[in-house]
Amino acid sequence: MKQKKGLVWIALILLLAFAAAGCGSSGEEPTAKEEVIRVAVAGPMAFVQGEHHWMGAEMAAQEINDAGGIKVGDKNYKYELIKVDTNELMSVSDAATAVERAITEQKADFITGTIRTEAALAIQDVAMDYKKIFMVAGASFIGLADKVEEDYERYKYWFRISPINGNLLAQTSLLLLQDVSKVLREDLNIETPKVALVFEKAQAGDALAAAAQQVVPSFGMEVVGLWRPSPTATDLTAELTAIQDSGAHIIYTYFSAASGVPYAKQWGELQIPAVSVGINVEAQAQGFMAATDGRGNYEYTLNTYGPVEITDKTLPFYNEFIKRNGEYPTYNAGGTYDSLYILKEAIERAGTLDQDAIVVEMEKTDMDSTIGRFVFDEKHDVTWGPGYVTAVGTQWQDGKLVCTWPNGWQGITYPGTVEYKLPPWVVEAYK
Amino acid sequence: MTGYLYHLYQAFKEEILFLPSRLIALVGIIALVLLPLFSQSPYTLKVFTLASIFAILAASWDLLSGFVGQLNLGHALFFGVAAYTSALLNLHYGLSPWMTIPLGALMAVVTGMLVGIPALRLRGQYLSLATLAFPLILTGIIYVFPDFTGGELGVSGLSRLSNSRLADYYITVGLALGLGFLMWKITDSKIGLIFHAIREDEIAVRAAGINTTKYKLLAFAFSGFFAGISGGLYAHVMRLAGPSTLDVFMSFQPIIWTAFGGIATIYGAIIGVYLLYPFMEVLRIVPEYRMLIFAVIIILVLRIMPQGLSPWVIERIQKECPRCKRHNAFTRKTCKACGTSLEKPSLGGDSFKLEVKTSE
Amino acid sequence: MLANIFVNTLIHASVYALLALGFSLTFGVARIINLTHTAFYMLAAYLIFTFVGTLGLNSALAILLSIVLVTIIGMLSYKVIIEPLHEHDTTVLIVTIALALAFQEVMLILFGGHFRGVPSLVKGFVTFLGVRVTNQYLVVIAVLSVILVLVWLLLLKTRLGLAIRVTAQDREVANLMGINVSLMSMVTMGLATMLAATAGALVAPIFILEPRMWLQPLTIVLAIVVLGGLGSLKGSVYGAIIIALVETLVVFLVPMGSFLRGAVSLAIMIIILIIRPEGLFGVSFEGER
Repeated sequence: MKQKKGLVWIALILLLAFAAAGCGSSGEEPTAKEEVIRVAVAGPMAFVQGEHHWMGAEMAAQEINDAGGIKVGDKNYKYELIKVDTNELMSVSDAATAVERAITEQKADFITGTIRTEAALAIQDVAMDYKKIFMVAGASFIGLADKVEEDYERYKYWFRISPINGNLLAQTSLLLLQDVSKVLREDLNIETPKVALVFEKAQAGDALAAAAQQVVPSFGMEVVGLWRPSPTATDLTAELTAIQDSGAHIIYTYFSAASGVPYAKQWGELQIPAVSVGINVEAQAQGFMAATDGRGNYEYTLNTYGPVEITDKTLPFYNEFIKRNGEYPTYNAGGTYDSLYILKEAIERAGTLDQDAIVVEMEKTDMDSTIGRFVFDEKHDVTWGPGYVTAVGTQWQDGKLVCTWPNGWQGITYPGTVEYKLPPWVVEAYK
Repeated sequence: MTGYLYHLYQAFKEEILFLPSRLIALVGIIALVLLPLFSQSPYTLKVFTLASIFAILAASWDLLSGFVGQLNLGHALFFGVAAYTSALLNLHYGLSPWMTIPLGALMAVVTGMLVGIPALRLRGQYLSLATLAFPLILTGIIYVFPDFTGGELGVSGLSRLSNSRLADYYITVGLALGLGFLMWKITDSKIGLIFHAIREDEIAVRAAGINTTKYKLLAFAFSGFFAGISGGLYAHVMRLAGPSTLDVFMSFQPIIWTAFGGIATIYGAIIGVYLLYPFMEVLRIVPEYRMLIFAVIIILVLRIMPQGLSPWVIERIQKECPRCKRHNAFTRKTCKACGTSLEKPSLGGDSFKLEVKTSE
Repeated sequence: MLANIFVNTLIHASVYALLALGFSLTFGVARIINLTHTAFYMLAAYLIFTFVGTLGLNSALAILLSIVLVTIIGMLSYKVIIEPLHEHDTTVLIVTIALALAFQEVMLILFGGHFRGVPSLVKGFVTFLGVRVTNQYLVVIAVLSVILVLVWLLLLKTRLGLAIRVTAQDREVANLMGINVSLMSMVTMGLATMLAATAGALVAPIFILEPRMWLQPLTIVLAIVVLGGLGSLKGSVYGAIIIALVETLVVFLVPMGSFLRGAVSLAIMIIILIIRPEGLFGVSFEGER
């Protein structure tokens, strides 16, 4: 009797497995018989970053296909997207095998996406093994680009679309810091603002910590301490009360992951009398206000997009994205979106689907993307600077994300930029 | 000469062909060896290459935890230490994988001893939960020295295990089967007997005048060595060793695979990985439900077969002779060796039913 | 700085104690290392998120409902999945991991990998000894004190408590004395999940909601109960205080190493275990077979 019951269970499990296999495979049949260019959109699809990778790519593919596709010689091609769940936040080996599967089994010609650096490194090697163009839309680690310089022949198929690399992110966030210190000097008469550095423990944070301790004093500010919480910290109350104790006027942050949310939430709830500025990737996403229960208001972060016209492509993309998905686009979404356009132009110029020929044309890219005039540097990285991609500073004001930087920096003010606002409790504390 | 061959054939027939479980193992091994004849797809090869690496890891966990009963919840420690050691030696000193992998494994042995010594003072659940902490502490240390360890990025750009996927495949499959066999032999030896006895009743073993501490340390060393080989292989196949090799999830995985395949069997651990790992790849067609299906299957399988899959199957395809303890195929009615009837005696059947009357 | 350290230790210790109590209770009575424990905490938080955010219930009602629901789920999962495997220690451990993974994946499918927040019951902060403390933390401290008193009363002053304690002390003898050991285990499991759910309801507004939010508290809880002695409620409270103190000290004394607070507290746990292999208040397992 017991034995039979066991067998029934086994049969049930097998049935479940096959049913699952069945309903999945039906979705994977190639739909179109026409000529297609297959692009693997690789990201942690269960998470917001991967969702955005997919949303951005889907939108671009649809627009491009509707407009007639990609002309290669006298043939017309359409984009066909392959959704590749890398599961990279949980398992790096998963990420590498998923992409390898996409290339060998699903016949992907190009790869776009990925966020976690450890996974991006693994995927980079897989893509280079197969000599497939891999466009990163998320990981900012500079080492990915250094490889192009070190071993050009092997790594030339790699390109970064977004964001600007980690070092440039750090430099640009320092500009935001200067901007805020100016406001403090002018509005609150704080001559030498004290700065607390809060950088999550990550490679980019290490670089920023070294740089900031040198540079910040030269901006006429005083560093009162450096805190390095874990990227997955869920409670920063202790850090925040310690910062308050230190008498800081400014909290200069670097958060690339989860800990940015509880940080901002507890900062707002405790009304720590110090303005918060820097990089907080989670504060770029739509869900930030709800996740912080409204406490994240006045959080000021470096961003890729804001409701401003960086180029004439920015706002159409920005607004259409919000219309389609009900969310602000992030650099993950914009990265995959732009990557498909950049790739399209390169393929059309090359007039062939030969990867090496396309690489040559990719290198010649000079076009207006949604984040600025897009030109690759010699390491296949995004060129940063006035007249190129600058990134923007965005602040949460009254529950809305607005753009507050650049506001006159190097003569640049993107149309739609508004004034930075000090949190009222900070004004209260130092008036 | 022919006599010897005949003898060999007879032994083969007796020991393998007539025992369904060994036959299944043989078919499995042949399938692994011949797989490249049917598919040379790099993806398939990679999946089975990784499966082989994890099979070594799972078996090494089983050796320590299943056999000796030192339930280790932090097995990723050995894996990660070896992966990092191999990676750093390869990157900074340019040693070839043939050197770095054994050296990584030795480092894992040293770690096993270092962890084993304090862990030996702990018993049962305390040991399990304390071992869980070690890889997490090491992760913290790795983050302290990013210049050396690469911080959260890990050490990347390592040299390949070999020149081709196919060679990678045969190296790892060969090692998985070879080392698996070696571990199985260890558990079958006198040392294995003591291991087993320690799990069952450590006090009794000590009372028998055996230095259990020595044997438990030996188990940590063995287990660390094999897990270390697997970690080194992983680093060179992935060409990357990062903090993910020390994840809690990395520690849980070998336990899940082994529990699925059958604890305290070695072969169960290996079977568990070879079934579950490719199965997880099949599930990529439903990426959203992949992990959920995985978790639910683990729960269901263990709910029905608390001992794991392979003991459950063996119980059904083989019968143990009640007299001479030889294993027989389930189809036989009498024992092949001594002729005893293998039918279950009808104890507990209708004739023996006890009527329990309760007064009301 | 001293006031800062004191206050931070206090608030973190109460959060940890709330999480650890139930876990410790389950181990003490049912002899189960229930790695699903913090997944129940996650479950409660998500239920409240759904009730408040989607269905628009008021917070108090949502909290009550979710605690009841999670308690039922906890008892059911014990009855259906864990108890039949009771004989197999390792299997139980793995099944509870798998169960937690399953809950995580269900949350991931239902809510996606977004960071979510639950509104606090009470907003704002108070200044205590010159240190700012959010009111939500005060609620945690208050509820924890009430729970500690209630659990103490239940265990020491009621017949049910007596039965639970007897079961905890010796399952076999308890069985012989006519105590329904299986029922006691299930009741304890229910009680433990209820505590986990309460923690979820109170702590979730301070932290964030995401499908992997169970894993980090789990390691902290494990460190606390092991350090305090498995199955000892007193040990859990002391363990929570020690871990909270260590973490706070790391943040205040080595701000550059505040990412190490988890690793340092685990190292402290190991050190204490080396000195006292059965934890601070645990029973020695030497003779047990």
